[in-house]
Amino acid sequence: MISVIRAFRSEVLKFRRWSVLAVAGVMVVVSTFLAYLTFHQLASGVTNPEMTDLIAAFHSPQGLVSIIGQARALIVAIVLILVSANLAAEWTQGTLRNLLVREPHRLRWLAGKMLAVVLFVLLSMLLTLVISGTLILLLARGQGIQTAAWTGPVGLRIGLSFVGNEVLCLIGFSALGMLIAVLTRSVVAAVGISLAYILVFEGIIGVVAPQVAHWFPGRVFNTIVGATVPIVGPTPTQGYLAALGAALLWIIGFVVVSAIVFPRQDVNA
Amino acid sequence: MLPSSDPSQLSQALLETGSAPGSAKDTWAIETHGLSKHFGQRTAVDGLTTRVPSGTIAGFVGPNGAGKTTTLRLLLGLVRPNAGSATILGHLLTESARYLPRVGALIEAPAFYPSLSGRTNLEVLARLGGYPMSRVSELLEVVELADRARDRVGTYSLGMKQRLGVAMALLPDPDLLILDEPANGLDPLGIIGIRDLLRRLREQGKTILLSSHLLGELEQVTDWLIMLNQGRALWCGPARDLLAQHVELVVEAEEAAQLDLVVRIVSGVGYAVTQENQALRLACPASFAETLNRQAREAGASNLTIRVKEASLEQVFLALVKGDRS
Repeated sequence: MISVIRAFRSEVLKFRRWSVLAVAGVMVVVSTFLAYLTFHQLASGVTNPEMTDLIAAFHSPQGLVSIIGQARALIVAIVLILVSANLAAEWTQGTLRNLLVREPHRLRWLAGKMLAVVLFVLLSMLLTLVISGTLILLLARGQGIQTAAWTGPVGLRIGLSFVGNEVLCLIGFSALGMLIAVLTRSVVAAVGISLAYILVFEGIIGVVAPQVAHWFPGRVFNTIVGATVPIVGPTPTQGYLAALGAALLWIIGFVVVSAIVFPRQDVNA
Repeated sequence: MLPSSDPSQLSQALLETGSAPGSAKDTWAIETHGLSKHFGQRTAVDGLTTRVPSGTIAGFVGPNGAGKTTTLRLLLGLVRPNAGSATILGHLLTESARYLPRVGALIEAPAFYPSLSGRTNLEVLARLGGYPMSRVSELLEVVELADRARDRVGTYSLGMKQRLGVAMALLPDPDLLILDEPANGLDPLGIIGIRDLLRRLREQGKTILLSSHLLGELEQVTDWLIMLNQGRALWCGPARDLLAQHVELVVEAEEAAQLDLVVRIVSGVGYAVTQENQALRLACPASFAETLNRQAREAGASNLTIRVKEASLEQVFLALVKGDRS
């Protein structure tokens, strides 16, 4: 356990890198901007038929979550890129050999590193939601829009449920990013494959075999969030509990495969 | 003495006879037995059997692609052997967690996080290894980087990165230091600094395995040599023994008759001899000088001048590697 804590503390130092902070900054700024744009359209009485659900939810307890949740796809993409690139960079930069000489228990090092990275992405996501949520609340109150439903008991419960499921969703995508990094051992390959998988592969499967596609990891992780607020994610056709179970199984699978492969790899970088 | 046809037999023979300078045979810092590593069809390390005595600076030399870096990676548990075994600081290769806390290493070009400062890069490893932060400051002073410690590593010169790499290797105050081309990119002052540092570490009883292409530099600091070619050991033993086996005796005499006498003596024992003006050049062990002098006196040639000319490590390296390839 001490080794894991050391690896965690060691990893925390690396978050001072401008590249890591910049990615987190992009998540906060762009997500907040998207939330602002959505709010602005709704507040100005938009009648776009593609926004019918959002318009209907605007004054309901789901209103605030629906608005700040519009950037979910971006947050997921950033998390997947950040986790896979961050881990794969240890191979690409050659720093992995330094680290594994100082911590030969590879799984303990990986556990400590991933704990730190996942905590970082979750804190970034929470910060994003808090900033964008606060901004939207302030804007709404400034424009005399009724927000009592958003901050009432039902609204808060929906908000907490959304955050809880979003945390689980991002843990799932982080585990997927970890596996891709361990298998590819290259930043370019890890980021390319991560994006191609989420944006292309699952999309193609969704068209060709939709009944199978909703059990695929990307779909399942998003689905458990959509169960809370349907406007911000796909609605689980298999049911929330089945989707939750599948998500947990995928996460366990990614962790187990990484834990089997990583200690047996030659470190030639 | 050095059969080039079967280098593995050579290394085995040398290992059986070679002993650690000033130490008992049970104080080997590194021992490998038939260590092999293949990458697909390519054999990087081929049944390597070597030893490094504790408390010495062991030079690790060989041409590019000889398997030096792969061997170092094997010793550090970064790659897994296909065959063979090794013992490092008394622990099996498979127990890397037991010996690596006492090992410092710099493998190939030093790898750092370029957007972090030199100090933070060391702190990352210090936290991981559980070393006090005071050790970081201390080592930055040792490698003379204290004044640039807060600058991003991306702004460092190659030599500065190399010095930071040496500091990284010294973090655990290691009993065994494995350095791969530590002088790469250093200016002459930097090279001298590294040389002095290595000597100081040896005086503290530490063992240093030093891989380098700077043979002249190695010749100055190493007490032990491992020469590798095509994944196999051509030599493993005391550096002075290797150099002593490759000397040239230069024999000068005022009278041609005395030189003829020397030629007869030398030919009788089978050493090669070449004549240049009033001198003979003999390829033989240094110890033969005394025998030759005595036999020549007994035969009546009493006015000989015999000089022993030691071969450089570079000459020995070329001779062994070319011999192995032929």
